[in-house]
Amino acid sequence: MNQKLAKKNRPKNLNLFTIRLPINALVSILHRATGCALFMILPVILLLLQWSLRSAEDLQLVLAFLHSPFIKLVLMGLAWVFFHHFFAGIRHLAMDVHWMTTLMKARYTSKVVMVLGLLATLVVSITLWL
Amino acid sequence: MWIELLTKRYPGMRAWLSQRLTGLAMALYSVLAVGRFFYLAPSDYQAWVEFFQPLWWRVLTMLFWLALTLHAWLGIRDVFKDYVPNATLRSVLLKGLVILLWLYLAWAAYLLFA
Repeated sequence: MNQKLAKKNRPKNLNLFTIRLPINALVSILHRATGCALFMILPVILLLLQWSLRSAEDLQLVLAFLHSPFIKLVLMGLAWVFFHHFFAGIRHLAMDVHWMTTLMKARYTSKVVMVLGLLATLVVSITLWL
Repeated sequence: MWIELLTKRYPGMRAWLSQRLTGLAMALYSVLAVGRFFYLAPSDYQAWVEFFQPLWWRVLTMLFWLALTLHAWLGIRDVFKDYVPNATLRSVLLKGLVILLWLYLAWAAYLLFA
């Protein structure tokens, strides 16, 4: 009885903003979040591909759309979403074959994933705005 | 034998392996696609159409989309399983997801082969 009561009164903390995520947890949840984001832009990708292949005029319209300043910002965000999912996915594959699985190494590869994602986004951003 | 883990008796193992293999396939295709894009550097509409002209490239792109379909199904299914505790709502969402992925697959096939 006492035990049950203790269980019931156990403190709960569901406010994620008060929890400081370790870097490997951050990389992991971002892998999931970016995966969801990539899923949501699938129809946009198909639509843009369809329009771009329809006629020369439509291709110009698509390119003009992609080159507008606001959309360029969106593309920068999407570039990061793609690269993070890409590099974090490779990290997961590496750990599946038991490579880099100790806590220290996992923290290190998490940082590598974050840096690579941001670096690749930087390269894309430079080519976008130049 | 480890191969037994891939039979119908262990559906979780199949899902796990499918998610990894499709991810790997998509990663390889992505690298190839970016490389091909910069190598051919299509500069006008004609060149853009020719980029998608070769049959082998269209077949490869279709395989990519198949992998994407399976990968997205497994990934989003996991997300629904984790965050949607209501069984009725979750089943509706999963059915919607299947319909959506089939539509995208048909759309991709239409774009590439019609």
